[in-house]
Amino acid sequence: MVLLAAAIGTWWFAGYAGQDRLGEIAIAAIFAMSLDLMVGYGGMVSLGHALFFGLGAYALAGLTLFLKWPPGLALPASVLLTGLVAFAIGRLIVHLGGVFFIMVTLAFGQMGWAWFARDRLFGGIAGLSGIPQIDLSLLGGDLANPADFAIVAVTAATMVYLALARLIESPFGAVVSALHRNAGRARALGCPVQSYKLAVFTIAAMLASLAGTLQAQRTGFVSPDLLVWTSSGELLIMVIIGGIGSLLGPIAGAALWTLLHHYLSAVTPYWMLIMGAFFIAIVLFAAEGLYGALARLAWRRPHV
Amino acid sequence: MRSHGWRGGGPMFRAEGLYKSFGALEVARGISLTLPRGARHAIVGPNGSGKTTLFNLLSGELAPDAGRVFIDGRDVTSMPPDARARAGLTRSFQKNNLFPELTVLQSLAVSVAIGDGAGAVFWRPFVRSADIFRRATAIADRIRLTSHLETVVDTLPYGTQRQLEIGLALAIEPKILLLDEPTAGMSADETAEMAKLIAALPEDLTLLVIEHDMEIVFDFARRITVLDYGSVLAEGTPAEIRASPEVRRRYLGETAP
Repeated sequence: MVLLAAAIGTWWFAGYAGQDRLGEIAIAAIFAMSLDLMVGYGGMVSLGHALFFGLGAYALAGLTLFLKWPPGLALPASVLLTGLVAFAIGRLIVHLGGVFFIMVTLAFGQMGWAWFARDRLFGGIAGLSGIPQIDLSLLGGDLANPADFAIVAVTAATMVYLALARLIESPFGAVVSALHRNAGRARALGCPVQSYKLAVFTIAAMLASLAGTLQAQRTGFVSPDLLVWTSSGELLIMVIIGGIGSLLGPIAGAALWTLLHHYLSAVTPYWMLIMGAFFIAIVLFAAEGLYGALARLAWRRPHV
Repeated sequence: MRSHGWRGGGPMFRAEGLYKSFGALEVARGISLTLPRGARHAIVGPNGSGKTTLFNLLSGELAPDAGRVFIDGRDVTSMPPDARARAGLTRSFQKNNLFPELTVLQSLAVSVAIGDGAGAVFWRPFVRSADIFRRATAIADRIRLTSHLETVVDTLPYGTQRQLEIGLALAIEPKILLLDEPTAGMSADETAEMAKLIAALPEDLTLLVIEHDMEIVFDFARRITVLDYGSVLAEGTPAEIRASPEVRRRYLGETAP
């Protein structure tokens, strides 16, 4: 609620740059929530989540530029396509535990990066621009306008938040959370643990891909940078800063990271140093992240 | 509610010539076991005789090198633990194996949901699954934890956690229940409580229990299998086992009256 109000407030008062930032944050928030579904709820730590972000963006680029699909149709198709890829990858890897899962996701992510960096069709390392935007003129909007884009992106992020909140509260979410806590016991009780993990993996990948398609809509441009593993790492940092295993945490983490990224990097070339120190401080002193720390403060207050 | 039709005729549970070795160490050497429906069967044997290994073979945590396992006539030898549980067999663990951060009610409810396959439901809130929570409450009643419904599992006393250990297994309404040392580490009072709980389990539940406390064993068991070095030393009624000279010599020596 507070976050949504902050978003609306920003949209109202901020200028062109602020509205563009808001769109960027909304995309990062969807991306971060999708990773937290996998890490915080599903117990699968991935360093290759950017693969699905990138696949969504590249699929949208391919469908619109080469097959001339209208972007309004290409966007959901891209998300579905990424879901199929994620399902196939997930079938192979969701049974892996701990560091093996991390490294294999990293490997898949880097394979994706390597392919798009070499591939001529998609412009190799230079990327591909000119991705058409969804035509919103019927609604009186224009995605090229940051103000309109921000509305669309924040709406999408809000819907993703509501859908995930519902998913987590559902029997499905309860079983996922139980198998995250004790997979062995869940299995002994008859839970097909691998199927649940695969479902979580695929849903998370599709949401990451939704974020990727929105990014391609925002910039009209795709490049292998979208899939690079450091952005998977940054995303994990956003989730941890915000608070792993909550939905609001990753949103806050995404907002904070994006803002710090922009404003600190404008002030000092050593901004990464400050971000690093900040991240370490969070992990050492507020392991539940910003959201967890704030929630704890709120609980400590006497009941009114 | 899930109903387990009994096919009738054959035994509810059967293991045939189970063999398992870890390198040169033979932990199960041709163990066979037949349990009719509603069995009250105990497995006894000294430490290291292969009791827990046998349970792991029966529940699917370990694959046998040879031998077969049948649930109600159906060959489940190649099935992993979750598939065996869905076929009607589950177990409790010697070392508490719970969902420590959940409350008693939450962990029973999620176990009921797993047993129902209700986890496929993702569009309505879990807390509104009235039927699941009603059944979870009924199980809490059966394991005498009604007063602890809202307690976080981790903060329960050890003996109470042991009761919940059985409760989770009951939540999926199994046909066959394996209990691995239900009274392990318990005080005398807690053991007595557990004995009552075991005595009150449903009549038609097929029960196989590993237990060290011979008093409990002679109390509830109608048949007893004595394991020694991974093979069956003797099997029979409590009276037969008590009377068996070999069992007395090898195992009951100090504890038998």
